[in-house]
Amino acid sequence: MQVTTENKNGSLVIVTEGRVDGSNAPEFQEALKEAIQEGGQKVILDFEHLSYISSAGLRVILMFAKQLRRENISFAACSLIASVKDIFAISGFDKIIPIHESQKEAMAALG
Amino acid sequence: MSKNPYKILVVDDEPDLQPLMLQRMRRSIRAGKYVFVFAGNGVEALERLREQEDIDMVVSDINMPQMDGLTLLDQIAQLDPNIRSVIISAYGDMKNIRTAMNRGAFDFITKPVDFDDLRITIDRTLEHMARWREALASRDKLVSLQNELDIARKMQRAILPTEFPNKPGHRIFGDMEPARNVGGDFFDVIPLGRGRVGLAIADVSDKGVPAALFMMSSRTLLKGAAIGSTAPADALREVNNMLCEKNDSMMFVTLLYGIYDPESGEFTYANAGHNSPVVLHSDKSCSMLPLTGGVAIGVMPDLEYEQKTITLAPGDTLTLYTDGVTEAMNEDKEELGEERLFDMLKGASSGEPEVITRAIFDGIKAFVGDAPQSDDITCLAIHRPEN
Repeated sequence: MQVTTENKNGSLVIVTEGRVDGSNAPEFQEALKEAIQEGGQKVILDFEHLSYISSAGLRVILMFAKQLRRENISFAACSLIASVKDIFAISGFDKIIPIHESQKEAMAALG
Repeated sequence: MSKNPYKILVVDDEPDLQPLMLQRMRRSIRAGKYVFVFAGNGVEALERLREQEDIDMVVSDINMPQMDGLTLLDQIAQLDPNIRSVIISAYGDMKNIRTAMNRGAFDFITKPVDFDDLRITIDRTLEHMARWREALASRDKLVSLQNELDIARKMQRAILPTEFPNKPGHRIFGDMEPARNVGGDFFDVIPLGRGRVGLAIADVSDKGVPAALFMMSSRTLLKGAAIGSTAPADALREVNNMLCEKNDSMMFVTLLYGIYDPESGEFTYANAGHNSPVVLHSDKSCSMLPLTGGVAIGVMPDLEYEQKTITLAPGDTLTLYTDGVTEAMNEDKEELGEERLFDMLKGASSGEPEVITRAIFDGIKAFVGDAPQSDDITCLAIHRPEN
């Protein structure tokens, strides 16, 4: 698992690569916390290279989403591969986290 | 070195050593690094050690009246194996030095005492001891953590049903294979009025003791809600609202709850983020239950859950399971997946729930080989017998 960030058109894009499961969920949490230090009013979680996420990983995203809401930062996820999209759909997380097909769409939605 | 000051017991029958030591070590004493305690022989040394349990290390001469340094070493090892000793011996007395080292002395210095060398030796010994204590502390922590995990594991096992209400209208069987690191799966079978039976399967996010506690409250709340309400969707809404209160840890549980009516064969269910159960029909075909699109429980309050009903035909077996089944991984990091699960179901010798459950557990075992099990594996099956 690897987390990298870049600033694009006023949005903080957080790219997660690889697998997130119980064994590295705490690292994932730490990485997201660090990423958000860079500030910004818009956050996009780019999951194009996320190959798998377990419920422990979903929990980290949930905590992250809660923090962003508290700080009035708008956010969205994008570019989920089919199997990860299924995980979001089955757990109902697609109703909690706005999900878009591409970074571009996510940016447009965040305005 | 973390602890200050360290208490050092100096054992020597030469009365000159005490003032000399205090004089030569005065800077370290003033800086609060060391405190010295003195004894004139082994017997006195043991008395000091018994009186003052905070003595960290011993610096001892070998040749002394009443009890010599070598005997003292043996005694210290019995009294407190964590105290480190440094031996002072005559220059070239290799025989006694060897014996002292064999009896557990950490180091030695030779007479006449070079105090700079002694200071270095003491510091080195104390440094070693600090590391040793850290290692002991983390070992203790690990042991207590493992004890906690054992309790959590026992808790998890203890709440699972072990006897199943098999009636003419239905047969039920369920089992769980817990992962080593304590997950949070559970299932429940809840007898309801008019011969109906409630079936639940759940998977708590995260692992360990907090997850086990969350599982316990989920299960208790569900049982209460199931007995109190007629509709699964209402039961889930109630459990969700209660679990969302004070859920600062943001844990959540995926939970599917349904009611089976043996009269009609109808299974009415609501699903809070759990993976879809599968029906094995008597013609050996498989179908998944339609999703109802509910959000996992504990995520957000005031959510509504949708309810759906399917009908089990005579000979059908409905299997509820957790993602530990489909996400079981083999040594090539391949997931078991739904297709292989269907194949296992089709390959079972009958639709009897116990046969189905065993077929799944055996199939997973054969698939994963020697790869470690990372998640709980749970199955709960209900069969509608042919008349």
